[in-house]
Amino acid sequence: MMRLLTIPVMLAGLAAAAVYWSNDAGGRRPDFAFINRGDNKCLDPNGMSWMQDIRVAYALWEGLYTLDPVTLTPVLGCADRATVDSTRTVWTLHIRPEARWTNGDRVKAGDFLFEWRRFLETPGEYTYLHYYVRGAKQYASEFADYVAAKEKGGTTRPAPDFSIVGEKALDERTLVVTLSDPVPFFPALLAFPPFFPMHEASMRPFRESDGLHYRLDFTRPPNLVSNGPYRLAQWSFKRRLRMVASDYYWNRANVKSRVVDQVYADDGLAAYRTYERGEADWLSDVDANLAAQILAKGGRDDLHVFPAFGTYFYTLNCLPNLPDGRENPLADVCVRKALAMSIDRDPIVRNVGRLGQPPSRTYIPPNVFEGYSSPPGLAYDPEQARKLLAQAGYRNGQGFPNLTILYNTDGIHADVAQIMRRQWLNNLNIQMDLQGVEVKVFGQMLHTQQYAVARASWYGDYADPTTFSDKYKSDSDDNDAKWSNAEYDRLCAEAQRETDQGRRLRLLGRAENILLNEAPIIPLFTYVNAYMIRPQAKGIPLAANAMLMFNSVQVVR
Amino acid sequence: MARFIAWRIAQLPVILAVVYLITFGLVWVAPGSPYENNDRALSEAAKNDLKLRFHAQSWEQFLTYYPWQIVRHGDFGPSLSYEGWSVNDILRSSLPVSMALGLVAVFIALIGGSAAGVTAAVRRGGLLDVLSLGMALVGVSLPAFVVAGLLIVIFSDWLHWLPGGGWGELRQIVLPALALAMMPMAYIARLTRSSMLDTLGNDYIRTARAKGLPRWTVVWKHAFRNAFLPVFTYLGPATAYAMTGSFVVETVFNIPGLGQHFVNGVKNRDQTLILGTVLVYAAFLLTLNLLVDIGYAVVDPRIEVEARQQ
Repeated sequence: MMRLLTIPVMLAGLAAAAVYWSNDAGGRRPDFAFINRGDNKCLDPNGMSWMQDIRVAYALWEGLYTLDPVTLTPVLGCADRATVDSTRTVWTLHIRPEARWTNGDRVKAGDFLFEWRRFLETPGEYTYLHYYVRGAKQYASEFADYVAAKEKGGTTRPAPDFSIVGEKALDERTLVVTLSDPVPFFPALLAFPPFFPMHEASMRPFRESDGLHYRLDFTRPPNLVSNGPYRLAQWSFKRRLRMVASDYYWNRANVKSRVVDQVYADDGLAAYRTYERGEADWLSDVDANLAAQILAKGGRDDLHVFPAFGTYFYTLNCLPNLPDGRENPLADVCVRKALAMSIDRDPIVRNVGRLGQPPSRTYIPPNVFEGYSSPPGLAYDPEQARKLLAQAGYRNGQGFPNLTILYNTDGIHADVAQIMRRQWLNNLNIQMDLQGVEVKVFGQMLHTQQYAVARASWYGDYADPTTFSDKYKSDSDDNDAKWSNAEYDRLCAEAQRETDQGRRLRLLGRAENILLNEAPIIPLFTYVNAYMIRPQAKGIPLAANAMLMFNSVQVVR
Repeated sequence: MARFIAWRIAQLPVILAVVYLITFGLVWVAPGSPYENNDRALSEAAKNDLKLRFHAQSWEQFLTYYPWQIVRHGDFGPSLSYEGWSVNDILRSSLPVSMALGLVAVFIALIGGSAAGVTAAVRRGGLLDVLSLGMALVGVSLPAFVVAGLLIVIFSDWLHWLPGGGWGELRQIVLPALALAMMPMAYIARLTRSSMLDTLGNDYIRTARAKGLPRWTVVWKHAFRNAFLPVFTYLGPATAYAMTGSFVVETVFNIPGLGQHFVNGVKNRDQTLILGTVLVYAAFLLTLNLLVDIGYAVVDPRIEVEARQQ
């Protein structure tokens, strides 16, 4: 009998050992814990584009400007003085002497130049923001040619000269940036992760043999050195990301929570239960169905739903041919307008959205930018839509080829697609198929125009309409519809050069008017953010861009 | 005995190697590779990394170099869908959790299942027998997400006795381990019951009772030891299965274990992750079966004698 008992005893022993081994919280409870919007994809500012990564980046790094914790408008951060000359194109920025990295090193002008140059030499999704700097675009394309030539078979071509770029260090703590045109929102850009500094010395051991790329191991603790209010203490895959307040941050006296944990929860329901259990103080992205149910049932004041800085829309492929080679009916603007004008947004926001999303006929969220008046957009007019379709040669939908609506299988997209399809069938007598794919595949297909009709969304990154309008310029990498309009480009370029803010916003308004009338996209509604915040958690602004500065966050017990 | 063990241990790497080769062969033969320009293609950075670390510029090159990389450096390579993470990182983070959960679940299943099965066999035809058979049927038939959901609703939402998921405190292990243990427990109960019924019919049991030994001594000390063998055989693969994670239980209870990676790896066509998880599972399975084989000698003295006589 004793022999037999060894088995359960051994099992119990192994189980206890495994339980101990699997514990990663190290005993210390965080001062603030939150559930971010999904996995962290990449903590290298060069490769960052997802909201959850940018949120964490704001805690780990600090740019020359940073965001005010309450209003989220740009204020001086790593820089203590900033001046701009009379042409409004030459910015002089002075780094504050007490700014330090999390390992104690002083922050130098060279740290900014290193990363800004890196953004041009190894382009990421936000490299286009650097093109506001004089010479940057030219340097980037010359460097790309240089790399391509080197790979093909080592020419003796010298590397392009970085001095053509308007970014210089006057001394160890002074930067001079020369822009090609006045950019009134330049402080907002300087506060944004693509303009953060990076600590080259700690990245060097992870440099690849091509001298350009760095292995992402440098973003992993204990390797990561950053200059913001927090340092990265722990990052276990799909479990926990722990940030601890930096002892070298110049404003550390105002950092309210010492240990901040990001807790993972893959599933919307599991995330909600994690919040309910008390393991998280803030759930930043409540599952849409769940939020709608809670809202309908009422009685909970920890659910906050408010308009977001983004638009949900449908994108139409504007290329002359569809991915399978057939002629593309959507290349005809009359067809696109017909599709746009036959959509009634009401059932979508009422039955699918259910969170009070405002229906929207414009691409840029209305009433967000002061002084910007949104164009009217295309109204719901099925009669007119049918006329336009007939004009294009598809009277009553006859002869219209069978197209496919592409969407990713998360959230509400499938339901929205079904409503869209039904409305087009009812109003225009057009048949469409539905194709749902997983989000990674969806992103690829959208980006390479492997679709006819697809769902899309865009969130603004900084407080200026160009964060929306830039996307649909002809040369924009993000122009998924591959729509091209010379007048639109011209208006955008003119706005870029315009110094008077009022005139500038009017130009952008005219550009958006063209975009809406040519209908490469069909705006549906403005997003809402849904947060669940424990009443004791203070300092989380209900910001349209869903951002926050962690230094002001505190749980009052 | 020692020779028996040594022989079995020597076989382990050979069998593991065969499993590895078959798995690689399957991945090789499977259509599509991450290097092709399709919608699941690798990013340039990932291809760069593979080129520099694995000297691989094509999928075939990668698959050739990969086994040596595993054997020589224990490096399962980069995950092809989670950029910047290596499969080793992922395993290191999730394997302990799954192992802990699995071991606790198997422990519960073993204790609960054996007790239920023995009681059912001894009180054959009685209420306990019917109850335990009924529980066994339910445990085998109900899918894991139903069991998990029920447990959460009853014990967490209504009674507030236990937390409904997460990982970090000891209390959080109870419900997921119970959910995971349902099926093996049912199986073990049935196995134990039928094996005990078999053993209880033997002559030596009748002799022991006739000698006047107390009933439960006979049952546990004499009958159960011999009836335990089939259960013990099942315990090997059951533990391996439980330890490498259950996707459903982990998702419902929000447990950062290995189970999700099996499924997500396939969903994302992350070949290195699939290979890593399959190989880990195979290694566990083989090791546990070996332990069970060695354990036979501990559990049942008749086997040791036979081995020695050989």
